[in-house]
Amino acid sequence: MRFSLFLLLAIIYLTGCNSGGDKLPVLGFKTTEVREVNGQQVIDSVDYTVPGFTFIDQDSNTVNAATLQNKIYVADFFFTSCPSICPKMMKEMLRVSDKYKNDNRIVLLSFSIDPARDTVARLKEYCGKLGIVDSKQWHLLTGNKDSIYSLAKQYLVSAAEDPDAPGGHIHSGNFILIDTQKRIRGYYDGTKEESVTKLMKDMDLLLNEK
Amino acid sequence: MELEKKIIRYVAPAFIFVIVAIFIYNLASHGWIPHPGKSTYQVQCAQCHGDKGEGIRVLIPPLKSSDFAIQNFDSIPCWLRHGISHEIVVNGQSFNQPMYPIKLDDIQVANVINYMNKEFFHSDKEISSAWVRERWKHCEQ
Repeated sequence: MRFSLFLLLAIIYLTGCNSGGDKLPVLGFKTTEVREVNGQQVIDSVDYTVPGFTFIDQDSNTVNAATLQNKIYVADFFFTSCPSICPKMMKEMLRVSDKYKNDNRIVLLSFSIDPARDTVARLKEYCGKLGIVDSKQWHLLTGNKDSIYSLAKQYLVSAAEDPDAPGGHIHSGNFILIDTQKRIRGYYDGTKEESVTKLMKDMDLLLNEK
Repeated sequence: MELEKKIIRYVAPAFIFVIVAIFIYNLASHGWIPHPGKSTYQVQCAQCHGDKGEGIRVLIPPLKSSDFAIQNFDSIPCWLRHGISHEIVVNGQSFNQPMYPIKLDDIQVANVINYMNKEFFHSDKEISSAWVRERWKHCEQ
């Protein structure tokens, strides 16, 4: 009797804490929308989603909504002549790329915030230096500068030109995890190994999310 | 009276033993006394060159056993102060990513070079801040 009570408590204890802990939050402000359900007006909350875009990658391929259809993706903002945090961010993104290579559910996007200098040729050269071979999974993107800056804002990270900063730009070192419905599911410090390890754990959770 | 004697005889030595044990444990777990250049290296250099001086693929050259750094040792203070903006060849591999100037004073530079010497260049040579100031006079900029 006493043992079974102990067993019961143990089961409650061990399973109780897990509920809800294995699902990632949906980030960003929610908005509301009025919908009609069975002839009745109901107010529903709508999750924040990131907008679409069309940019060019290191192989001159167009990357847009179609590329990202049904994909989970990790985005970051960088530029090839960045002296400070980018090399470390790239090194960490390489770990992500190594872990998920051949996994076609995952896409990695690195947006250049210095698109004038970061031409397709230059991105290609940078990829060569980093040993990025699979351009189908990891796209380094260039395009219209204003579009990229406004996109950074909509990913809720900072990016700006600053003549005083080394390299002439300042930007966030965050990796942003986006789900198949374009919702932001997590921010990770792309310059910290333990934070990127957490990102990969969260990506596994997201892949298993129904 | 008896109680006080007992405290002095048993509790006090045990207490001191615990303090010493904690002290030794802390030293051991945080590394015995860290090199004075280590923290500067980790904050200013490791982002690109890596904690172990391994570099990043063919983007950032390694420091560990770098023939370029060992052969041009006298130029290191200038590289730190002015950066490098031309192609270099390290251990047979060409690298062409600009290194940017780093704001460090003569003592920090001396410490960080001594740290790299010990960790990456396999040398016991210790240089001084006076040597760093002297080298700065001969930079090609």
